[in-house]
Amino acid sequence: MANEFPFEISPMFEGERVRKDDMFVELAGPKSRGFELVRAAGVDEIEDGKFTLIGPDLSQMQEGSRHPYAMIYRVAGKLVETDLEAIVERRNHDFQNYIQGYMHLNQRYDVWVRINKDAIKKGLTSFGQIAKATMMLFKNELSFIEKIDATYITDPDEVEKRRAEAIKIYEARDARTRGLHDEDVDVFYGCTLCQSFAPTNACVVTPDRISLCGAINWFDGRAAAKVDPEGPQFAIPKGEVIDAIGGEYSGVNEKAVALSGGEYSRIKIHSFFEYPHTSCGCFEVVGFYIPEVDGIGWVDRDFTGIAPNGLAFSTMAGQTGGGKQIIGFLGVGVNYFRSPKFIQPDGGWKRVVWMPKNLKEKIKADIPPDLVDKLPTEENATDLKTLKEFLEKSQHPIMERWTKEEAAPEEEAPPEAQAAASPGWSMPSLSMPAGMPMMPMQFGSGDGGVKLKFKNAKIWIERIVFKKGK
Amino acid sequence: MKIIAITGKGGTGKTAVAGMLIRHISTKNKTILAIDADPDSNLPDVLGVKVEKTIGDMREFMLQERDKLPPDTNKESLLESKVYEVLCEMPRYDLLVMGRPEGSGCYCFANNLLRGIMDKILKNYDITVIDTAAGLEHLSRRIIRDVDELLVVTDGSRRGLQTAERIRELAKSLDLKIKQMHVVANKVTPQNQAQIEEYARELKMDLVGIVPFDEMLAKFDLEGRPLAELPEDSRAMIATAEIVKKMGL
Repeated sequence: MANEFPFEISPMFEGERVRKDDMFVELAGPKSRGFELVRAAGVDEIEDGKFTLIGPDLSQMQEGSRHPYAMIYRVAGKLVETDLEAIVERRNHDFQNYIQGYMHLNQRYDVWVRINKDAIKKGLTSFGQIAKATMMLFKNELSFIEKIDATYITDPDEVEKRRAEAIKIYEARDARTRGLHDEDVDVFYGCTLCQSFAPTNACVVTPDRISLCGAINWFDGRAAAKVDPEGPQFAIPKGEVIDAIGGEYSGVNEKAVALSGGEYSRIKIHSFFEYPHTSCGCFEVVGFYIPEVDGIGWVDRDFTGIAPNGLAFSTMAGQTGGGKQIIGFLGVGVNYFRSPKFIQPDGGWKRVVWMPKNLKEKIKADIPPDLVDKLPTEENATDLKTLKEFLEKSQHPIMERWTKEEAAPEEEAPPEAQAAASPGWSMPSLSMPAGMPMMPMQFGSGDGGVKLKFKNAKIWIERIVFKKGK
Repeated sequence: MKIIAITGKGGTGKTAVAGMLIRHISTKNKTILAIDADPDSNLPDVLGVKVEKTIGDMREFMLQERDKLPPDTNKESLLESKVYEVLCEMPRYDLLVMGRPEGSGCYCFANNLLRGIMDKILKNYDITVIDTAAGLEHLSRRIIRDVDELLVVTDGSRRGLQTAERIRELAKSLDLKIKQMHVVANKVTPQNQAQIEEYARELKMDLVGIVPFDEMLAKFDLEGRPLAELPEDSRAMIATAEIVKKMGL
């Protein structure tokens, strides 16, 4: 098949770079314009293998010149649907790089192509040859494509016109992608990139939960796992849903046992208090439970001050990281604040009682509008006293929890625990949520010492380790 | 495909040696990639190239932009394109500057992508010459992997050779699997040459070349002229040609 072309076609040419010295033409790229687009079409609309060129062909181009460049494919088949367009489109990069002497970089409206002089010398004269080879690869590799045609454009005005249309298509596609949720997929992705410093940590990345370093979303996991299934990112079949709200799945639990070396066997992806996700140490933001107001504060890596609980990011990070399930602290990526499932079993945004100003500004658009002004930052609250005052004054929804606790009859009241880690000041007693294990506490911090008061509590402790601080 | 890292104590003239090596090899019919992996160095100046952006800038771009990108952006392919954007394409070689170090966030994923991209890029060149600080950053993080030969530049001082000794130990402890290590003595005068050769023998270092103190090079340095303009028949360039020959480049 391949010998009908004046160039070789093989995955071995992937990563082959066309240097400026060796370049015949440059197409699209940072100094010009272009795009690539795949559209689904009806089987009857397409004449299989047809190629159309709008604008000058390769043979009419000057050596060393640069041109706008667009590649549009239409694909059809019984199984072809609009949702597949993006996946098919991505393969244009792979297939075109199989062509010797042809370099394809980036994607969508950022494509960047170079063709080297050797390819021209060997007989490449037309974009038709490139398009035919690419279409052949599409059909060979993606068997659900029954028919395909291609339109390439090198005419500057036509590229501009069609590019504007393409951008609308990409935007519509992005809106759909952003609407993808945990329940829409069968597979999550795991990441063990950080197991070198947190050997029992396993990051679970889902459409509604970005990796806690903020770098890997579900699509990144999918892309990486496809390239190297044995690599640091890999597929985790969801299995059965155990808790839809908390985000517990049998497949994830099975993987948790294996990845943590038996350290834990259950993970609730969206839970703060129950079987929470572990943290390697790379999290962008750490959440901390504040028992005195029964709310959760968040502090990001860039905040150098002290949170209302009297602790700095670095101190809390030290407690959170290390790949253990730590109740009371949770590491997340900034983008997790945009998740519709953001700590949903724990009350979601209503449970959020503090975050630094910069972090708040960054995600302001994603905070429920009625909460924006009720959520204090370091400008409104610097310790537990000012925090509680602000929450009361602003009528923060967390107060509903306080009244509920106070109204609860004595005999049904959950075990009460009061931890006062902040020196010299203690809150009126508020109870911890029922069944909530104790949060890790700071011993010996501050000069007020430690005050612990338990009422009607059942405490079971397997092991306590005291370490002398530096 | 051969990857050579050039390192040495600050002030020994390692970047000048790197520049001269690149200059000499580029006269042969070989594709060369020059990498400036030392944030303190000025390889682009030595080569007479103006560099606007670095790999570090692009890695930072990825970190800044990642939440704004379309969710299914292929980040590897995006970063690869960004790396190609900062690659300076000179008539007979390409130059890549690693630039700014990492910030406080997590760079695991970005660096992991970068590793794969660098592996792919390096395969395109007959020879890659890396100018790197004595701490061997980027090599230690395996951003640049599989370095074949390490060339340690030293001056007329014993300390320069002691640094070479330390680098040898460091390379061993980092398990860099470097096949060969050589030493180049730079700025050598007739007065200290015998002593340097003696030190090298003591430390069992392969002294692959001696670059004599060159008035012309010193003048270029003083005036800030790129060493790429040094004539082939200058003393330093003749010595460089000798090193290239001995190393079989």
